[in-house]
Amino acid sequence: MNPILVLGAGPAGLSAASELASLGAPTILVERESFLGGNPIRWHYSLLAPDLKPAEEVIGALVKKVQADARIERHLSTTLEKAEVGAKGYRVTLKTADTSEIRDVSAVVLATGFDHFDSRRKYEYGYGRFPDVIDFKEFELMLHENKVVRPSDGRVPQRIAWILCVGSRDVQVGNPWCCRLGCAVSIKQAVEVRQKHPEVDAYVYYMDIRTYGLWEDLYWKSMQEYGVKFIRGRIGAVTPAEGGGRLLATGEDTILSRPTEVPFDMIVLASGMEPSAGTKQVAALFGVPVGPEGFLTPQLTDLNPVDSGLPGLFLAGAATGPKAIPDAVTEGMGAALRAFQYARS
Amino acid sequence: MSIVANLPRRTLSLSEEEAARPVAMHLTGRQRLSSEERTLSEKIFEEFRSDPRHHEFVLGCLNCGECTTGCPAARFYDFSPREMLQIAANGDATTLWDAMQEKIWACCQCYTCNMRCRFGNDIAGIISVMRELSVYHGLEATRRTLAPFGRSLTLLMTVGTQVSSDMIQPDFFRDWGPFATGSDKVWQVGADVMRRAIPTDVLQTTRSAWEVSVQTSLELFRIYEETGVLDMLRGLDPDLTEMLVDIIEERREEFQEARERFADEIAGMKGPVATFQG
Repeated sequence: MNPILVLGAGPAGLSAASELASLGAPTILVERESFLGGNPIRWHYSLLAPDLKPAEEVIGALVKKVQADARIERHLSTTLEKAEVGAKGYRVTLKTADTSEIRDVSAVVLATGFDHFDSRRKYEYGYGRFPDVIDFKEFELMLHENKVVRPSDGRVPQRIAWILCVGSRDVQVGNPWCCRLGCAVSIKQAVEVRQKHPEVDAYVYYMDIRTYGLWEDLYWKSMQEYGVKFIRGRIGAVTPAEGGGRLLATGEDTILSRPTEVPFDMIVLASGMEPSAGTKQVAALFGVPVGPEGFLTPQLTDLNPVDSGLPGLFLAGAATGPKAIPDAVTEGMGAALRAFQYARS
Repeated sequence: MSIVANLPRRTLSLSEEEAARPVAMHLTGRQRLSSEERTLSEKIFEEFRSDPRHHEFVLGCLNCGECTTGCPAARFYDFSPREMLQIAANGDATTLWDAMQEKIWACCQCYTCNMRCRFGNDIAGIISVMRELSVYHGLEATRRTLAPFGRSLTLLMTVGTQVSSDMIQPDFFRDWGPFATGSDKVWQVGADVMRRAIPTDVLQTTRSAWEVSVQTSLELFRIYEETGVLDMLRGLDPDLTEMLVDIIEERREEFQEARERFADEIAGMKGPVATFQG
């Protein structure tokens, strides 16, 4: 059997590679970054919602499993340059900075994931202009390093705001979909801050809170046990407050139907999820159908969410849409099974 | 307007007729209205909801409030574009009626709400549809609200623009030389240079843009007559309408005289200029 190619070494790709190896299939794992683990490792996520377990511990276990498995051939800092339909499976060209290698593979799992929305595109929040307006992946790093301070002056912030749905549910930036995780991650961050610094005021500005399923517990606890404040309405503009170097968040409190203007020391933007550059690239290389959002579209979203509908091509993780880590891991397993069945048939 | 504000003022001693009405009617404070008002409000509601623009302008709403955040009117009045859109999308005849009394006139039609709206609604547009209906049906509150704008309306109806060159005084443009009155010398010098940089023919065009020919004025009025705008206005302010008709009649006579005077020249011309009868 020719090896099975897994593209992307985030939660979905690691899971697929690990399952393929355990099924006894020779596996090639290709990752464009120089490390395994995908976005959670790249951006140094702190604790993961909803169980508040360290991301390094959760993803680290999966990384170790893949690293320890001799049946998995790992290619870091490598991209796919070319893909042609072969007699069975594909003939692919793997490219690094200075090498180029042609391989025949019997099946492919696309686990190319997502990129965080570039918050500069929501110019009214001043991301990139005001140092104390930060993206929530940058805040994850602060939590991870246990160093929650204002980038402008290094002081511990007294009052922090989270703005949800930045680059999600917004036709102005062309992203009408929900990122599914912005609510949970922001609430988790607010809880983490309140655990470490109970004196810090935490405000979450929301339109709807989508801590779906059992994650709702996190939302309730954030209020009941950690005193996180929720204001229903979106911030329309962030401007420097007069004196004191704070930022003024202006919006409408839509529950009380009145304008709200609150000075904050720091503003965290829950930036949405977009198909990653890699996802866009493989969609073009393999001719996988994409939806209006740019994510890969499975043949049957209900009964078979991991089949692309093209022979020997399978999909897993956030490449097909915003997804939590457990869902990405599950899809990695499903795609591994389907790819193995195809390669053996 | 929130539901709370619309709660019935009277809950006791309902007449038999009132008691027999559906509960929802009492919840929205419908009995506040006289029976004529009720009938009219239902008619307006029907026209509003069946207007093709309603379908096009009102898409849906996440109630995020970004429209209200940027709204200049919301900073000064009890007005919110979000509320207007909610009423347009989900309101009933009474809430629409209430909003059309005064609130819709707080909007300055700057369209900032549209620019902010992440759902892509045309909020300022749907407010202008409400305004149109309130003028068309000659609502008393509308007449009252628009009374001080007689001069603007007269200009708009007779020459097609609210502002005429005689209204522009140097005082309005303090930073614009040679009448510059601002205190910033540097800016004054700059403004003077900029002003000189404007080509003469552009300045002439700018001047002539204010001069509305009799023919344009008459064509415009013909449009108002034929599209029913004049009838709308008559319902709202009959006196002003009669005055406008008088002004235009005078211009028509002027125009006819001119046509007779230049009959030979016109006979040799082609196109709309030659055929327009005033």
